[in-house]
Amino acid sequence: MEFLHFVRRALVAQFSGPPPRDEFVRHALDAGVGSLPLLTLLTIFAGMNLSVQAYGTFVRFGGQDLLGLFCGVGGIRELYPVMAAVICGARIGATLAASLANMQISEQVEALEVMAVDPMRLLVAPRLWAVTLMLPLLCGYADVVGLAASYWAATEQMGVNGGTFMEQVRDIVHLSDLAAGVFKGVVFGWLVAIVSCYHGYRALKRDGAEGVGVATNRAIVHSAVLCIVLNMFLSALLYVR
Amino acid sequence: MAEQQPAITLERVCKSFGNNRVLHEVSLVLPAGKILVMLGPSGTGKSVLLRCLVGLMKPDSGRIFVEGQDITALDERRSAGREQMFALRRKFGMLFQDGALFDDMCVGDNVAFPLRQHAKMSERQIAERVAEDLERVGLKNVQRKMPAELSGGMRKRVAFARAIALRPRIVLCDEPSSGLDPVMSATLDELILDLHRSLNMTFVVISHDTAEARTIADYIGLLYKGELQEFGPKEQVLRSSRLAINQFFDRSTDGPIQVL
Ligand SMILES: Nc1ncnc2c1ncn2[C@@H]1O[C@H](COP(=O)(O)OP(=O)(O)O)[C@@H](O)[C@H]1O
Ligand SMILES: [Mg+2]
Repeated sequence: MEFLHFVRRALVAQFSGPPPRDEFVRHALDAGVGSLPLLTLLTIFAGMNLSVQAYGTFVRFGGQDLLGLFCGVGGIRELYPVMAAVICGARIGATLAASLANMQISEQVEALEVMAVDPMRLLVAPRLWAVTLMLPLLCGYADVVGLAASYWAATEQMGVNGGTFMEQVRDIVHLSDLAAGVFKGVVFGWLVAIVSCYHGYRALKRDGAEGVGVATNRAIVHSAVLCIVLNMFLSALLYVR
Repeated sequence: MAEQQPAITLERVCKSFGNNRVLHEVSLVLPAGKILVMLGPSGTGKSVLLRCLVGLMKPDSGRIFVEGQDITALDERRSAGREQMFALRRKFGMLFQDGALFDDMCVGDNVAFPLRQHAKMSERQIAERVAEDLERVGLKNVQRKMPAELSGGMRKRVAFARAIALRPRIVLCDEPSSGLDPVMSATLDELILDLHRSLNMTFVVISHDTAEARTIADYIGLLYKGELQEFGPKEQVLRSSRLAINQFFDRSTDGPIQVL
């Protein structure tokens, strides 16, 4: 109930005019650029891993030429958006929740209220926009890096023909799949941001530093769980017809 | 007409947290342009009282008027009520007990913040005002420092500069003197008197310091166990024969105020 009330206030704040520019830029940079090293590293390994796994399975019935199919579908449709959401979500969510919780326990949020500035407009709205816009970009980026890693592992390490691989990817992965990934990114981004802002915002002064820890912890766990569960439903919605 | 309105009127204000009765039927009238020093041991609800005054907390019962307007009647869940509350809060400047500086902004941006939000001033005018106000609180060339680099007392003074930046009509100070050395705390007292004289601001100052009350107060209140034991013009309160106020001024452990 309290969460729904928060969501309502956040939506009102988010859509009542453009967010404060400085805050938006700061959080967009932190969420986007700040996530790149971690996401790059992990998608490279995940992408190679898809190739390894597919090769080990398919080679037994001589199907190693199907590698592109597997890496395309598994990676772009499912793995990379969820990875971007969960990994970057944990990073971003922790930052958002900790920063807001810290502002709560040190009375900075109340100071804003007293200065007749709406904290939802100044603090929450730019964070929501920043993460909602950045996560789909990160998903797209993870698609490219992951696929490149799969390709490299398949061709260089397992001797799969590069042309066949790409042909299969092109065959199975359509523009609509990329769009679906971006759509998932938008949904996950907003979800991570709202859940993290909620937990951060809810911290109480009397909980002190421990309250910041609790808020951060909940932000990470709840946004990861929600993203993974929701991913299943989104996939069912997008791909089953 | 508006000049005759009292700055703050409390009518039987009560506030509890669960079983913890923090404010009990607190009533007072503070005329505009006066300095009220609210004394009381820690944990008696002084900060809660200030929070109620600016609408950060809503009293369970009773009414609070700011310059004649009933703030307890505003419904913040409605956007109209929230806008009225914001309009009302712009009459206030508030110094929080721990400063509440924005720790991701430098000192200069902290003091400039209310000006950038609400004043129609150019960046140059803002920079001048910031430097002026920081100098008033005895700080020079600290604009680029981050709050974390300052001592507790300096943070408090920056917070005071931020509270008065917009030249509000009413300034609420939650223990401005605690954590300051005696010289600095005397400087702050002079500053309060000076702002009071030159700009006719109303002050509500929370303090444990009876010397401070003697120096700056027009009105003195004593809050103990959620009740306003004493309230009135300074001379009257200082002549009072009530035990609690005398105990506070005599710094005695002997009297109605119990440590436990
Ligand atoms: N938000 C809150 N929730 C529950 N209890 C509170 C809250 N704020 C203050 N209190 C309680 O109210 C009492 C008075 O607190 P406070 O006004 O901060 O005292 P002080 O006079 O030292 O400023 C304390 O017992 C405190 O525990
Ligand atoms: Mg207090």
